[in-house]
Amino acid sequence: MNKRRAYYAAAMLSAGALALSACSSGNSDGGGGSGKSTSSGGGANGATASVQSVTLGTAADSTGPAPAVAGAKSGGTVHDLEASGVNHLDPAQAYVNQEQVIGQLFSRQLTNYKIDAKTGKTVLVGDLATDTGTSSDGGKTWTYHLKDGLKWQDGTPITSDQVKYGIERLFSSYETAGPQYLQQWLTGSSSFRKVYPGPQGGKSLPDSVIATPDDKTVVFHFKAPHSDAPYAMALSGSGPILKAKDTGPKYDTAPFSDGPYQIASYQAGKALELVRNKNWDPKTDPIRNAYPDKWDIQLGVAQPGLTQRLEAQSGEDKDSLALVAPADPTQTSVIAGDPKYKSRLVSNYQPFVDVFNINMTRVKDVKVRQAIMYAFPMQQVQTALGGPPQGDLGTSLIGPTVQGFKSYDPYGKLTKPQGDPAKAKELLKEAGVTHLKLTYAFSNQPRWVTVATTLKNAFAKAGIDLQTKAIDSTAYYTLIGKVNNPYDLYRTGWGADWPNASTVIPPTQDGRLVADNDPNYSHLNDPKVNSEIDRINAIADPTQASSEWEKLAEYIMKNDVPEIPYEYDKYYNVYGDGLGGVSYNTPLGTLSPNTVFVK
Amino acid sequence: MLRFLVRRVLGAAVILVLISFVTYLLFFALPSDPALLSCGKNCNPQNLALIHKNLGLDKPIPVQWWNYVVGIFAGRHLPLGNCPAPCFGLSFNNDTSVWSLLKDRYPTTLSLAIGGSVTFLVIGVGLGLISAWKQGSVFDRVASSISLLGQSVQIYFIGPLAIYLFSVQLGWLDRGHDPDWTSDPVGSLTGLVLPCLIMSVIFWSNYSRQTRSLMVEQLSEEHVRTARAKGMGSKYVFFRYALRGAMGPIVTIFGIDLGSVFGGAIITEATFGLHGLGNLAVSAVLQSDLPLEMGVMLVGATSIVFFNILIDACYAFIDPRIRLA
Repeated sequence: MNKRRAYYAAAMLSAGALALSACSSGNSDGGGGSGKSTSSGGGANGATASVQSVTLGTAADSTGPAPAVAGAKSGGTVHDLEASGVNHLDPAQAYVNQEQVIGQLFSRQLTNYKIDAKTGKTVLVGDLATDTGTSSDGGKTWTYHLKDGLKWQDGTPITSDQVKYGIERLFSSYETAGPQYLQQWLTGSSSFRKVYPGPQGGKSLPDSVIATPDDKTVVFHFKAPHSDAPYAMALSGSGPILKAKDTGPKYDTAPFSDGPYQIASYQAGKALELVRNKNWDPKTDPIRNAYPDKWDIQLGVAQPGLTQRLEAQSGEDKDSLALVAPADPTQTSVIAGDPKYKSRLVSNYQPFVDVFNINMTRVKDVKVRQAIMYAFPMQQVQTALGGPPQGDLGTSLIGPTVQGFKSYDPYGKLTKPQGDPAKAKELLKEAGVTHLKLTYAFSNQPRWVTVATTLKNAFAKAGIDLQTKAIDSTAYYTLIGKVNNPYDLYRTGWGADWPNASTVIPPTQDGRLVADNDPNYSHLNDPKVNSEIDRINAIADPTQASSEWEKLAEYIMKNDVPEIPYEYDKYYNVYGDGLGGVSYNTPLGTLSPNTVFVK
Repeated sequence: MLRFLVRRVLGAAVILVLISFVTYLLFFALPSDPALLSCGKNCNPQNLALIHKNLGLDKPIPVQWWNYVVGIFAGRHLPLGNCPAPCFGLSFNNDTSVWSLLKDRYPTTLSLAIGGSVTFLVIGVGLGLISAWKQGSVFDRVASSISLLGQSVQIYFIGPLAIYLFSVQLGWLDRGHDPDWTSDPVGSLTGLVLPCLIMSVIFWSNYSRQTRSLMVEQLSEEHVRTARAKGMGSKYVFFRYALRGAMGPIVTIFGIDLGSVFGGAIITEATFGLHGLGNLAVSAVLQSDLPLEMGVMLVGATSIVFFNILIDACYAFIDPRIRLA
């Protein structure tokens, strides 16, 4: 998931630390789903919410209709207030969580996440497919069967060749924003467009790559085993496209629906109105209850007005929520401090882990990197960014929403979250460094200016002279993304694309990928890590692989220290109490629209 | 009159061409790469090169600029689709036609600019006239103090306070929403009351002080004293002689302020969450969306130039001694 734009969208200004009680999500009607967070008694130290693992469902779990939500009724309009616009409506272009979650209302995939509105239990099930897929050939071949009764908004039946066309379309030259897992897995190449340029020239992928032996069956032949395939099939682009309605790049503003709603009107950056798709059959859909008649999605709603509207819930705002936008940091203390919000508050982890990268091209001595780790004042940084409602302190490279999450803290950061300057000095002495001077680059937004001051003061206590370098926010990633950048320390973030560390460790820690703009921003290139990535990628059992990823992540932190993980991001906001069945989509880190109803 | 219009329009065209070129150069002077905001997690060299090509960033800057200018009049065929004239390009971020976005957002900014202008002219000139009429009175002193205070506050400071007080707490006024004059004229009006009032504060404070000063000056002019000596009534002299003399400079100031009015509208939109050109400009800058930045810049500049020409033309009607040539 794209953390960059998530940062642009979210205004995370400092608002002071909040009580731990604010991290819980009570919900009288069972809404909030997995937002029923539980305190571990750790204060602001470490993960404080429990997250249930996402499991693979059976064919029975994949059968529609979706289980009824207690007390739910059909009808009404839900108003979704979003702080930013939606950049892409074409499912093939959707990567940011906002695009993916809103897309669930009008597009369906082969698989998707079924969320219990009461318990928050999340299961990956077949969406258009009858199950999460059957593998053969050691995990290289995956077969999906489509359900009966699937239709487009004009009543055209959904067939396997449309699924194949939808996947072929991902190769098109204009589809540059979406995930590229399937394209790379099918061709075995990162330069997949050289292998197949897309369907525009009339060429189709051969049956040896994607076969459709009948109208209901799709068979994917990957070049290597991919035990994660069921999860990749839940990404927005893993669905059908009706060729007759494919308008090329323009599809991005007017997609054709196979979900419960269709687009009635769209004003980019301003408003998106969705009305019922009469040809959607609830009996085919195990995850979407689709209770409301209409979704009124208001885009570009300014903060803190957005949060204040949800707090005040006057008029139509009583039936409003923010699927993606978290509460404005200036309002989190208001929400946390007043018990009246508790029944309509959702606080839960997002898949993002925020880190400070140490540029290993410049800071080569591991003892120096460990000294930086010890000196780092994670609690002060957390406070400057808005306190626990914005995120809990975290020390793992892999966040708590990922399967097999394991908390480890080799440098005692959770014990001394304000930093340990004495230990840092000791390590610097061992390394023979007498006057360490570091350059810290940050985006010139107010919250990061505050953090820069916080860091400078804390590092000074450890005898580290931190030179701060503000960069225009639009140029930030361009500059820190260069391998030969002149900075020692900078902040980035990364989110899992699905709840498995295979979407976290390989892209961010594989030294063979180091290049300009590659997400291995620390430039870690440890041969052992590289070989472990290959070994774990080949493990067929996802559970075993998850455990191995965690071990590798811990090894990296103990031996290489390329990054300083400091916070697991959270979704924290209230919704109008005219709504019920509000659940939380942990893999996306957003509220789920699928179980919501107007009371 | 015709010569005046032709000369001004040609001058305006030169200004707009220069603005477009300078904006282009400034955009590329920054080290940011807009493709990085479009590539998601896939910022590998192949994908970045493809995005550069799709966005038209693979050509030399002068060629890009020339294609852009030609496209406004003749339309363009872009890698991501056809763009009929007037083509201001496609947004880098959502592939939407910039022209359609501008058409969608312009009414909000224009409504705010006109509504705010009417508000600050009525309040500012009105207060100034009363203060000048009642020089040295309590009203005059209070009005002067309020004006001074008003000039010292900013929209982004009093805006949220006003929303909290009048909308959230008291519920007297709508917190502001986009106007839709065709389907909901009354709602459009009520939705603009608070934004226009807040936007007008900094302006009417200035106009109040300027009007009072100009009127006091005019009231001491010889032709005004002569009129009084002839036995004309105070009100007649005040409005017929003094006000007429003061109006010319006020209109001049208003012409100069037009740019500030659009600037004020932009800040007001951001404060009240309205979807106008200002809002569009902010997101364009934050997302390095060059076509959108160019579109907003050109439409804003064209508006200011147009209204300046209009105001210049108004001089002739306000002061018959002025002849347009």
